[in-house]
Amino acid sequence: MLERVKSIMSGAAVALDYDAELMLRVKEGDGASFGVLLEKYRSSVVHFLYRMVQNQAVAEELAQEVFLRVYRSRTSYEPTAKFTTWLFRIATHLALNSIRDGKSERLQERLDGDSPDQPAKQVSDRRPSVEQSMVYQARLAEVRQAVAALPEKQRAAVLMHKYHEMEYSQIARALSCSESAVKSLLFRAYETLRARLAHMA
Amino acid sequence: MKCPMETGESLERLLAYASRKLDAGDSAELERHLEICPACREFAAGQRAVWEALDDWEAAPVSSDFDRRLGERIAGQVSWWDLAMRPFRPLTAWRVVPVAAAACVAILAGVLLERPSGPALVRPATAQVETLQPDQVEHALDDLEMISQFDSSVRMDSGSPRI
Repeated sequence: MLERVKSIMSGAAVALDYDAELMLRVKEGDGASFGVLLEKYRSSVVHFLYRMVQNQAVAEELAQEVFLRVYRSRTSYEPTAKFTTWLFRIATHLALNSIRDGKSERLQERLDGDSPDQPAKQVSDRRPSVEQSMVYQARLAEVRQAVAALPEKQRAAVLMHKYHEMEYSQIARALSCSESAVKSLLFRAYETLRARLAHMA
Repeated sequence: MKCPMETGESLERLLAYASRKLDAGDSAELERHLEICPACREFAAGQRAVWEALDDWEAAPVSSDFDRRLGERIAGQVSWWDLAMRPFRPLTAWRVVPVAAAACVAILAGVLLERPSGPALVRPATAQVETLQPDQVEHALDDLEMISQFDSSVRMDSGSPRI
């Protein structure tokens, strides 16, 4: 199987992807390998979707659909790209559809109000004071609003680049566009974010 | 070096620097340029501020029942045939057994077809052969086996919160 993965992926100049190997095992009926992939990428996918739609319940629902699609696609899976690229391509597609369908229509309401989905962050080792907590929440709300205000594709590109450390080529495949288009998306997105968030320095 | 702000291609480099993704050599070269270029310095400082602001945004932990819910949805994908086979699962743990059983039924059907009897006997046998295609049986067992393995891993993981 290893040889098969190598031969398929060498043409595309993609490094050997252990995850792709796991997925090929899933294809051959190994449910435990699916469990390994789920364990490895559950958080990444949910967190990406959460930052895209900014609603924890919707994000988890979409993440379920992502893994369900991975499971359903196992029989036709071919490792033509890195597994994570394929995974985020599915996740991005679902997130964009969800946003366009208005499933996250309460997004702006949530952003304007409290943010119950957000974990309480410890500003330091000590318990944060009320003032510190309020400053942090205000800062966080500003970040969330700035990201939410980005056009959908720019948002997806920034999230994959910033939080998932994906390369331009991977983001391009996930977004079904060229690498130069990704660079353009990122530069425009970061320019907007700089205008809104640079004062936080 | 050329000013990254003047050559669009180098913006990528400036972005990587602000994201602390540039190697030490390139960083040092860029820092020398930043000392003499206010535009690049401002860009890098602004970008670094954005990067750090985004660092503050932590996502919430994943629900502890995420895997269980997913397992249920995957189980929901199983066809009527898989469900029908489920009570016999312990008996059919080996793939060979059902395939052999299907082969026996096929042979039996063949024997019945060869018998000089009326069409009434032939029809049920044919129907059985269509119902128990070996590929179908094997596919159903593959699915059941995968779900079983996935269930086991979910059971092992249950109880620990997802972060």
